[in-house]
Amino acid sequence: MHIRSSFFVLLLLCIAAVHAQEQVPLAPGYGELGYELPAVGSYQLPPLGRAADGKVVDSTGKPRRLHELFGDGYVLLAFIYSTCSDVNGCPLTSHVFYQIKAAMQRDPEIARQLKLISLSFDPAVDTPEVMALYGNNFRYAGNQGEWQFLTTASERELEPILDAYSQDIQRIYTADGRYSGAYSHLLRVFLIDPEKQIRNIYSVAFLHQDLILNDFKTLLRESRGDTLEVAASQPANLLLGPGDDKSGYESEDYVTRSRALGLRRGKAADLLAFVENPPLGLPPVPGAAQIDHAKVQLGRKLFFDRRLSLNDTFSCAMCHVPDQGFTSNELAMAVGIEGRSVRRNSPTLYNIAYAGLLFHDGREDSLEQQIWGPLLARNEMGNPSVGYVLNKIRAIDDYDGLFEAAFDGRGVTMETLGSALASYQRVLVSADSAFDRWYYGNEPDALTASARRGFELFTGKAGCAACHLVGEDSALFMDNRLHNTGLGYRESMGIRPEKQLVQVAPGVVLEVDREIIERVGEPAPADVGLYEVTQNPHDRWKYKTPGLRNVALTAPYMHNGSIGTLEGVIEFYAAGGVPNEGLSPLIRPLDLDARDKQDLAEFLQSLTGSNVDALVADAFAAPIGDIKKGDPSWVHGSEVEVQ
Amino acid sequence: MRPLTSSLIACVLLSIAAMFSPAATADGEIDFSLTDQHGKDFHLRDLRGKVVLVFFGYTRCPDVCPIELQHMATALRNLADEARHARGLFITLDPENDRPEILAQYLNYFGAGLVGLTGDRQQLDAVARLFRVSYKKNLLSQNRYTLDHSANLYVVDRDGRLDAIVPFGFPAAHIETLLRGMIAADE
Repeated sequence: MHIRSSFFVLLLLCIAAVHAQEQVPLAPGYGELGYELPAVGSYQLPPLGRAADGKVVDSTGKPRRLHELFGDGYVLLAFIYSTCSDVNGCPLTSHVFYQIKAAMQRDPEIARQLKLISLSFDPAVDTPEVMALYGNNFRYAGNQGEWQFLTTASERELEPILDAYSQDIQRIYTADGRYSGAYSHLLRVFLIDPEKQIRNIYSVAFLHQDLILNDFKTLLRESRGDTLEVAASQPANLLLGPGDDKSGYESEDYVTRSRALGLRRGKAADLLAFVENPPLGLPPVPGAAQIDHAKVQLGRKLFFDRRLSLNDTFSCAMCHVPDQGFTSNELAMAVGIEGRSVRRNSPTLYNIAYAGLLFHDGREDSLEQQIWGPLLARNEMGNPSVGYVLNKIRAIDDYDGLFEAAFDGRGVTMETLGSALASYQRVLVSADSAFDRWYYGNEPDALTASARRGFELFTGKAGCAACHLVGEDSALFMDNRLHNTGLGYRESMGIRPEKQLVQVAPGVVLEVDREIIERVGEPAPADVGLYEVTQNPHDRWKYKTPGLRNVALTAPYMHNGSIGTLEGVIEFYAAGGVPNEGLSPLIRPLDLDARDKQDLAEFLQSLTGSNVDALVADAFAAPIGDIKKGDPSWVHGSEVEVQ
Repeated sequence: MRPLTSSLIACVLLSIAAMFSPAATADGEIDFSLTDQHGKDFHLRDLRGKVVLVFFGYTRCPDVCPIELQHMATALRNLADEARHARGLFITLDPENDRPEILAQYLNYFGAGLVGLTGDRQQLDAVARLFRVSYKKNLLSQNRYTLDHSANLYVVDRDGRLDAIVPFGFPAAHIETLLRGMIAADE
């Protein structure tokens, strides 16, 4: 048998060789896949648009709707015609579908979840009877899985379906003007999910059973919210931390650990519950009484809306990244629209409800007002005026009625916009950390011995708690005041080492002359802290004390993000900051040994709240506002601009 | 072959064509008459009682026909004892080239008792229409051409009715299962 078939292949090759010039190369779908597929679940298939409905006729002649036949599962939809003669056209589809049907006999899950549909675009020839003949050929081929052969009642009913699926089909005429019975068409097979979204479109070169099944399994896995297989070697929580986790980047062994955004699916949380009953270790949330569900939901929608920026690209969440501690772990100083540099580090929004002073220089004292800073800053969200922002939101139809519903009939105003955004930010309270359970919850084992020693140092010898206050019943680790630690002074005076280490790749560090860095780099921004607000020379280089809750999640640190690690911050303070005329008397060299520093770091690590996962998952579930048809935009030309 | 002889054969074929025009009866029974690879008359109705596989193509076909004919032949061979209840037909759509002796030589490669059928253009067009087969000749140069043709495998049951269509490229095992099923069902 074997010898015989090899003989055959040889023979066929000979025949083929004789006619080599005429032979059409067979599409990859007929053979083995020529490349290695990525692991199931390691990639995403973003929706490509809605799979349209339409009137069709099944092989018994019964009128049906496409969506009705799609059912609740996944669908592979191909357009065919039964007299098709292009070997890399409809026959290829049938061949590949057959392979999938065969896979269904082996794997009941595929049979259960995936349906095959061949829809004819030649209703004149492909009557329901002809389609039934196709169905007939499976009578004895195993009963697992469904493969339907459909046609339409007429070309008129077919046309909107072809249009909706962009199937451009042309009749081929012979030289003497007669219809040859053949069609010219581009092979397209559609993979459709249960929400009737098209998730992939296969053309001749890509139509292969292995790829289709890989895609199908990836979608299935995504729908179950399964994590990647590689997640085992990653932090258990897929939502926390940057999608491209750079930890360990300084080591030569670093390997990219990019995580697929599509798999980081969120889950809405009962955010109001956090403000109504703040987690252990926090005082009542200021203004909690004014916060309600409608305001929080509206604020959350606004927070993730890129249309709030001049060019529709930049939302609040892009500097206050939820999975990066509601700050940005990747940037020392923020970057606004069109890559414009911002001169300070994005502060975390965790527990921002308790902050009496806002911005690093403390120039605002309420979130309602503070939001106008980034909205109007040329290098942040870039809007030209208050009126521009308000008019733009008024003209976006998905906000219709939302402000009115949340604010007692009041529409989009400076006040309501501020209040909505403030409401969302105020619910981002986070505590009930290991420290809280130990200190306020009377759980002696909640904190490690090292962290407990760290706390002793924090409140004792190291003097941190002089500014990062710890109260009897609660702790915010801030004092709502501004201090000169010398860091700003050092930056302004350009006190820097002659050479600086610059890492150019994992484990590859170069020592670069300061002169060179200054020649090619962005010049350090002028920044004199509180002085810019008060114009009082005594306030030079004073910056606000940040709270320390969740501090392990909010690197890099200091007002300019100049220190990347908690250990680095501890070193800075242990050395007594940078001496200058206005240096706070609270900052002095500390007598800390290596173990002390390690204990302090361990203590700071214990301040991560128990609800951060819930808050981040909720953020992932939030809608992302993207520009859509009809929205006002400088791209479209808009009335907002004219006004 | 001398021109005179071939004209003579053509004449004979034409007269045969006039006598037996392909048709399907009211209850769907199909019949047609063509010439087989041994130059003998062939009538589909003579195969009543057998499941018949029908494939259209041409012997110069570089890809589709040899693949499908091999699947057909393998399926028929693997039927073993049941093979007598089935028959495979290869109907050419290129009668100018595919004379009976060419068909005989070609089908010899595949074995399994495949029957090659030819006729004149008119006859073959009529048979193609019966199965709704379409084809189109592409002239590449004076003597080189390809023929695009429907690549389905048509299955006629033991009562002579078109019963199923197997799309191109399905494996031999699938065809064999279908044949066995249809043979068993009819017994």
